[in-house]
Amino acid sequence: MKLCLFLGCNTPAIRPDVEQAIRLTMPELGVQLLDTEGYVCCPAFGSFPSTDDESWLASSGWNLSIAEAKGLDIMVECGSCYSSLRMGRDHLVHDKKKLARINELLELTGRKLKCKTKVHHVSKILYKDVGTEKISKAIKKNLKGVHGVIQYPCHTLFPSEVVGFEDSPREPKALRQLTEALGATVDTYSHELSCCGGAGGFTNNSPNEATEFAKAKLDAIIDETKAEFIVVSCITCLMHLDNIQKKLNETENTDKYNIPVFDYNQLLALCMGFDAKQVASISSISKDSIINKLK
Amino acid sequence: MDFSQSNKDLWKEIYNTKDLLHCFNCSTCISGCPASNGEPPLLVRNLARMVVYGLEDELYDEDTPWACVSCSRCEEMCPMDVKPFELILAIRKWQSTNDETRVPPSIVEIYTRGYTQAVGMNVELRKSLGLPELKTITNMPEQMKLYQEMLMKTPVVKENDYMFKEE
Ligand code: SF4
Ligand code: SF4
Repeated sequence: MKLCLFLGCNTPAIRPDVEQAIRLTMPELGVQLLDTEGYVCCPAFGSFPSTDDESWLASSGWNLSIAEAKGLDIMVECGSCYSSLRMGRDHLVHDKKKLARINELLELTGRKLKCKTKVHHVSKILYKDVGTEKISKAIKKNLKGVHGVIQYPCHTLFPSEVVGFEDSPREPKALRQLTEALGATVDTYSHELSCCGGAGGFTNNSPNEATEFAKAKLDAIIDETKAEFIVVSCITCLMHLDNIQKKLNETENTDKYNIPVFDYNQLLALCMGFDAKQVASISSISKDSIINKLK
Repeated sequence: MDFSQSNKDLWKEIYNTKDLLHCFNCSTCISGCPASNGEPPLLVRNLARMVVYGLEDELYDEDTPWACVSCSRCEEMCPMDVKPFELILAIRKWQSTNDETRVPPSIVEIYTRGYTQAVGMNVELRKSLGLPELKTITNMPEQMKLYQEMLMKTPVVKENDYMFKEE
């Protein structure tokens, strides 16, 4: 299958090792990725979606039209990009008046939108289209005997009517099974389904409370599981849970918070034998403990 | 509470859906909301009340809608299909339409370079990871111009065009 890769902003700008992990692993599993040339911000919920529908949906339409011109669907890793594009598309598909207005705007730029292009999350492509069996066969190393936990990206779960792909959105299992396909043991914990708290205004408006919120999750992981790593599939979860541990160690004068955080495709890339320098080299909490455990 | 100054049609102006009127104050939208732990807490239920009661002045000054992380838990769990996250966005839209100090600076960044981050500028780092050069809109000046011309026709950019003038 062929898909347009929508990178968003944080991945290519701040964590390009995740981008490389995606670019290297997906073709190995039969998913060809083409670039979305000239894309713009998804747009982030704190930007145009918070000002007016026209600027929001015109930007969604701009992005969708690039893939539509190639006759392809879009694949996204970032949770916010995924949700913003999905919700934008949902508005356009269900409201003919809005679509007509957005097409008036897009026409000025020589574009037209029929809303043929769909938007998929990378974990959905891996889970439903590629499948865990194919993944288990494609890896050269594995994580047997290593325990990990999952942080599910909210934007891929809720609202399930618009963004969901899990059979049961309140009991998600895609990332768990994908991680088990790499040989790891996945533990459960009490805060498994809570948000990481890293997106949008919470961390800016209430930095102390947001830190406490993430700390409760990390403490649950430390106290209740044998996890040696955290798996996410959203760039915001990745950056937040990684960076906040460094901050907690500094402010609490401890070294207790040292669980490396991986985007799923990074773990996959490592198990496929790709060079850690290319696919898992940028982090606040070193990933070496896991990289060295791969057999 | 003094309702003599309240604007009974406020809900139509902000969020014209009957579903909002079905809100029965159950607080499901608050339990599980990360930003409800903030200081001050984001309490979606209260915002819904303010809109329904037409408490325009209070709502105008409310900062809490901007603390929402967009996780959409409230949207999933609300038993009355109020779509609380859509309500949050609707309140933000109403605020930024009526108060230019609410217009998020990020839209100026997006207008200027397409993104809120410096996408494609980390050339050396990308090269060291073996990544290709990105075809960003910043590197496609003609596309950038078209995107800006299109945005100029949308209400927020048209109304606040002074924010978007090149220096
Ligand atoms: S969950 Fe829905 S019905 Fe309950 S208080 Fe929130 S908006 Fe109202
Ligand atoms: S979408 Fe916003 S208001 Fe709703 S639960 Fe998440 S943070 Fe709270």
